Amino acid sequence: MNYRITYISGYLLLFMLLFVSCKHNGEEYHSLTDKIKHKSQNYHKTQISSEKYLEDKELIKITEGEHTFLIPERKGKIKSYACIECHSKPLDQMQNSAEYKKAHWDIKLVHATKDMMDCMTCHNGNNMNKLTSLTGKEIDFNRSYKLCSQCHTSQFDDWKGGAHGKKIVGWAPPRASMTCVNCHNPHNPSFKKRWPARFNTQVVKERKDELE
Amino acid sequence: MSDNKQWFSLNLNSIKKKSSGSCSCGKTSGGCGSHSKDQISDEEFDTAVDATIGSERKKDGFDQVFDVQMDRRTAFRKLTASLLIGAGAVSTSCSVTTGEDSKEKAQIDWEEQFKGNYKLMTDAEKKGTVDRLVRSYQLRTGKTIHMTSENAEEDVLFGYAFNISKCQGYMDCVNACIEENNQDRNSQMQYIRIHEMKDGEGFKFDEADDNYYHEVPAEGHFYMGTQCFHCDNPPCVEVCPVQATWREKDGLVVIDYDWCVGCRYCMAACPYDGRRFNWSTPEVPEKEINKNQHYLGNRMRKKGVMEKCTFCVQRSRKGQNPACVDACPTGARIFGNLLDPNSTIRWVLENKKVFRLKEDLGTEPKFWYFMD
Repeated sequence: MNYRITYISGYLLLFMLLFVSCKHNGEEYHSLTDKIKHKSQNYHKTQISSEKYLEDKELIKITEGEHTFLIPERKGKIKSYACIECHSKPLDQMQNSAEYKKAHWDIKLVHATKDMMDCMTCHNGNNMNKLTSLTGKEIDFNRSYKLCSQCHTSQFDDWKGGAHGKKIVGWAPPRASMTCVNCHNPHNPSFKKRWPARFNTQVVKERKDELE
Repeated sequence: MSDNKQWFSLNLNSIKKKSSGSCSCGKTSGGCGSHSKDQISDEEFDTAVDATIGSERKKDGFDQVFDVQMDRRTAFRKLTASLLIGAGAVSTSCSVTTGEDSKEKAQIDWEEQFKGNYKLMTDAEKKGTVDRLVRSYQLRTGKTIHMTSENAEEDVLFGYAFNISKCQGYMDCVNACIEENNQDRNSQMQYIRIHEMKDGEGFKFDEADDNYYHEVPAEGHFYMGTQCFHCDNPPCVEVCPVQATWREKDGLVVIDYDWCVGCRYCMAACPYDGRRFNWSTPEVPEKEINKNQHYLGNRMRKKGVMEKCTFCVQRSRKGQNPACVDACPTGARIFGNLLDPNSTIRWVLENKKVFRLKEDLGTEPKFWYFMD
């Protein structure tokens, strides 16, 4: 008799545990990554959008691999575009003509080495309104990232995914990211040394007081 | 103290004497059995202890604050101080001689004094307190601020990633943060710290310099920023005795500055030095005040309350990036919605090698570091 009760209650307990233990206990997750994974399964768009911040910006939509996003339009930002207003003839003809003038004297190329790069590595001598790929194909100024990505492949991958570079206004969709030339000067692309924007004199004072 | 009370009562000199002639049964003479000839009274015991240990007997933290001997006059003065504020408010609001403005001011002060915890407020109540704060600021300074109380949005969980190979130590983020969040200019409070670490020596926060002033990036160093990590399991929230700080649905750890009592337990509990305390009344020059504010974010704080990074709640809940993200010239800071599988922050977490600080503590910070 006693055995029977023990068995029945034992089975009952097991049966209950089966249901209780498998249930997701409300907000309880083993880890944050589990929580993110689980909660994003039924993700449908948020109400928050950054569209209104992008209204007054000129943007173009690009698709690279599985990523589609907006980047700033470029040609309108270049002061002396279109280039053919001066470069009316192909470059080799202009250089050899009698009215040869030194142009773009303010641009000094500090990008890779002289052996590796000169103006013509990127600029298209036959059509100055365009850039040129390593194989001589035309690249539009609005899509200059295609030019950079020929060498900087890992940066290009990170940029496409969003690990490299900045967003234009906010985190909310639609995604609008800056393109290479918005942060890097293509003729001198590295970030320069400079003094920090802040020095906290109060911290210095407090730490000095602590030592005394 | 012989009585075993669970609650605290003010120790006014007169009350203490009571115990000498009575016992727990309430009778003042004989019969209850708990008195015997050789049991010494409390007073005798105290004097005996004083005689042996004397000045070495020190009160602990709680007693030092609460068990202060004070004369009746000071006690009553302290007790009635807060009542007077209320009474003053009532009398101004009822008086016929005071102006409309000061009446309204008193009315606002009264309602603000007795409002509830923001966490428990309905949307209408939240709007109420925001409107009062805006009006109060207008009455006091003549300037209009714009304050909101947006709630956390569904399907949003904020997360942050920091690229330690990109940060150059320029500290533009620190400046942007201070301007955006109306931090005290006198004490030069800053939520963000940028640590200059030596290459090849790992993360040694005790040896790193977080207040350098030389050309950056310095040779042989890398830079790493810390701020509030908005832990998913925040120890600071656990320890708050008045629930003035909590984690919102979208993951932001926020503070109700009007509910905070300034005990600084949270400051001690935070393993990342994410919290700051206002030792003095925060001051910001009028023309530098950021007037786009959120109740839980950058509204003006007062003396004696905690504050910290809120991922710029006033910006992030509108879809914008926190000020530090926008200010960074190197793109080392990435912010976004962890629940959106297409967000850039998710791409970083899934495709880069990320880590967090002190992961073994189980605090689950929503702030990841990664390298190129």
